[in-house]
Amino acid sequence: MSRLIVSARINGEARELLVDERDSLLDALRERAGLTGTKEGCNNGNCGACSVLLDGRLVNSCLVMAAEVEGSDVTTVEGLELGPQQLHPLQSAFLEEAALQCGICTPGFLVSAKALLDTNPDPTEHEVRFWLAGNLCRCTGYDKIIRAVMGAAETMRNTASSSEGA
Amino acid sequence: MTTETRPEYSSVGKRETRIEGAGKVTGGAIYAADVQVPDMLHCKLVHSPHAHARIVSIDATKALAIDGVERVIVAEDFGQAVKDGSNPAIDASNRGAALLAHKQAVFTGEPVAAVLAETPSAAEEGVEAVEVTYEVLPHVLDLEAAMEDGSPLARPPVSDIDHSEEEAHVTLDVDTEEAEGKPTNVASHVSFTRGDIEAGFAESDVIVERTWRSASMHQGYIEPHATVADFKPATGELTVWAATQGQFMVRDTIMRTLKWPETKLRVIGCELGGGFGGKMTLNSPLVAALSVIAGRPVKLVLTRAEDITAAAPAPRAMINLKTGMKKDGSLTAIEASVVYGAGAYPGAPAAVGALLGTSFYKWPNLKADGYEVLTNHVSVGAIRAPGTHNAMHAVEQNIDEMARQLDLDAGAVRLQNVSQTGDPMASGQEFTKIGLDETVTQAIEHPLWKNREAAKAESTDTKMVGVGLAIGGWLGGLQPAAAEVMLNNDGTVNAVTGVNDITGTNTSFAQILAEELNISLDQINITTGDTKTAPFAGMSAGSKTLFTVGRALREAAIDLREQMFEVAADRLEANENDLELKDNAVSVKGSPDQSLGMDRLASMTTGFGALYKPLVGSGSIAARIQAPGFTAQLVKVEVDTDTGNVELKDFAIVQDVGFAINPLSVEGQMEGGAVQGMGIGLWEEYIYDDDGKLRNAGLLDYRMPTAADVPDIESLIVEVPSEDGPYGARGVGEPSITAGGAAIANAIADAIGARVSEIPATPERVLRALGTVGDGAEAAGS
Repeated sequence: MSRLIVSARINGEARELLVDERDSLLDALRERAGLTGTKEGCNNGNCGACSVLLDGRLVNSCLVMAAEVEGSDVTTVEGLELGPQQLHPLQSAFLEEAALQCGICTPGFLVSAKALLDTNPDPTEHEVRFWLAGNLCRCTGYDKIIRAVMGAAETMRNTASSSEGA
Repeated sequence: MTTETRPEYSSVGKRETRIEGAGKVTGGAIYAADVQVPDMLHCKLVHSPHAHARIVSIDATKALAIDGVERVIVAEDFGQAVKDGSNPAIDASNRGAALLAHKQAVFTGEPVAAVLAETPSAAEEGVEAVEVTYEVLPHVLDLEAAMEDGSPLARPPVSDIDHSEEEAHVTLDVDTEEAEGKPTNVASHVSFTRGDIEAGFAESDVIVERTWRSASMHQGYIEPHATVADFKPATGELTVWAATQGQFMVRDTIMRTLKWPETKLRVIGCELGGGFGGKMTLNSPLVAALSVIAGRPVKLVLTRAEDITAAAPAPRAMINLKTGMKKDGSLTAIEASVVYGAGAYPGAPAAVGALLGTSFYKWPNLKADGYEVLTNHVSVGAIRAPGTHNAMHAVEQNIDEMARQLDLDAGAVRLQNVSQTGDPMASGQEFTKIGLDETVTQAIEHPLWKNREAAKAESTDTKMVGVGLAIGGWLGGLQPAAAEVMLNNDGTVNAVTGVNDITGTNTSFAQILAEELNISLDQINITTGDTKTAPFAGMSAGSKTLFTVGRALREAAIDLREQMFEVAADRLEANENDLELKDNAVSVKGSPDQSLGMDRLASMTTGFGALYKPLVGSGSIAARIQAPGFTAQLVKVEVDTDTGNVELKDFAIVQDVGFAINPLSVEGQMEGGAVQGMGIGLWEEYIYDDDGKLRNAGLLDYRMPTAADVPDIESLIVEVPSEDGPYGARGVGEPSITAGGAAIANAIADAIGARVSEIPATPERVLRALGTVGDGAEAAGS
């Protein structure tokens, strides 16, 4: 088996990972970088549990080769917090709205929702439901997830407008 | 919505966010697949490509030559892992003991060998290189064919049918006959009778007789099965990290399978990425045995394809149902033949289906037979309310159809006939206090039901709108449980239980402690111990976690309070009856200056030279009275008569939960189960080819509902307090899945005037019901 070193910024930190050439980005994150927050649900792009941001773009990390991320920025669920013990508004909203039960799909939903709100800060419920259709959840029935994302979007808009006003 | 006056409580009954949720939103929560142990081997499995075959030989020479491959284990090797040298894989009568197929494989995907390697990819290469020679044997896949005399046998006859999966979910007071005499694929049969069904049918004004089918399905958990086992040869200690709903069940299964002493066995139930009845013991004994044989830690994580193909899906059912009704809406008789496909090992919920399918209405005359039939499919496991959604689909379509043919209101007919407190089930056992009547009442008062004619009027030429109603329910599991609550020196409280928190039950536990100790949630920590450190608790299954462990915790909290009062009474020279616990202190009522803080009480029971014994509250209960929970569900659909596609427009779920300790999490249980019911109704189905190979072993083709497929769900909580649950609570998890499929089928019938006889109601089946595809044989009310 042949190995190579991949250099990338992961959650803002420059990392060099020794990976197997067959590793997916998901394998590299979980097995090489020790970031097990990103979950494997299907390993073929159908469930969204492994969602991460690659240079700001939402991807299923199981469908990206680790070697492809050389020089890129990767954001995982572990990189969402705004600061020490300061949850991202999406993370807070997921807890407040009970938008998670078993939690295995939650990292993927959070990253996917962040990608949505980064480009569309004021989505309709319809837009949220269709954007998140690539992430499967079996516990919640989705209602509370949709409410959490809509609520977090509102919080973030309010924060943005109040900081503009300040 | 409250049905009886709700008592005033300080903590239980309030909407609370999870006390320990942060790990799940930051990626810190550790699931079994996240566990890494130094020097760990990775396991991948070799699967049979045949539905039924004799294993002639297994040659591992080429696999062992691959760099990184350490061992290839076959069934014959397991004697090395068992304390007395016996081999559980030989003539295994249940899936749990069948670590790997021995001599013959009985379903496609059955594991026949395990490859252990230094990396997952080396193990995968090893799997490709193992050479297995098979002699293909005749297989049987069709349920009716399997029941015929002279059918090929799906497997050698078994004795001692393992019903542990079913029993983990529900306590049934019935006798099941196991097959005796001539070998047959009918593994078990259960029968219930009451009255005279012929007389009942004779006085009926309408009789509906139909055969209803429902598909085999995956539980749908997003985390595939994962197990890590670490056997330390030097100490003889075996540690297992498992993705399981019940760590004590894993412990006991390993103990029995490997004859392993429980003093040398620690099972750690990790955070669980969904179970729904599908995560019990599946691979734990296998991985434990592999670690013992290899003398190193071993990790097995199933791929999604393996998990769908060869884990333990929920059974399909074929239900022949004949029911009668009089013009006044009263029921006369029911005759049910309820057949569940068990797959290749017995363990299907035939007794549940036959019992629940004929017990939710007051049938004066009944005859119900449940059969569990073996075929060469993957053996089935439990699911949320195992067997019940299949039975309710059949019963609720019949009830609806009889009402339609007599031009009666299908909601009123249900209310007129549903079982009440004290009514007998089909088994003769009487219902304890139930709220089915109140649940149906709420549903038929709902605008979605009351305005159904207006909804139908929205139909266009090719978009037909309909509204459907169905009921469902679950009797609830019973299992003893214990718990401990300890007072800390800072006046806070630590509690230990042995039940895995999947959905937020620890928060509800904390609410119970807060209630009994009059403290706030942030003063409480709940630890889920492992099987060596926690007092016994049953599985997180059967809608009994809060119902049983919650009661044990409540007793433990009361015990702790009494112990605090005992110390305080002695110290304050007061009578225990004059004391009260509030504001983190035990005080004499009316004399707040005569008071001892909880922190002070703790230090008086732990400090050097302290005079009082440490304060440890214990609770230990044996739950004996079931608290059945019922649901009624309403759905509005729009059927495209050109394509057969069904769109869900509105959905409401009404459920009697007894008492909602945490309404936020109760709603979560209702909504999650409701959406599983939508999957059952419209999309989820195992599709096999004629050779018994699964054609849709992925999450694109095995289609679970997404956020874009489902409507907003309205959750309406009914509270008819149970006799024995904590604060009147009932089991909440299971009822929610039982009625959605049936409600959707009834809504389709309301929309198009014809019934699908099989769910999921795929576009093809809808078009067949309409008669625009096929021979049009499925016309309404045949």
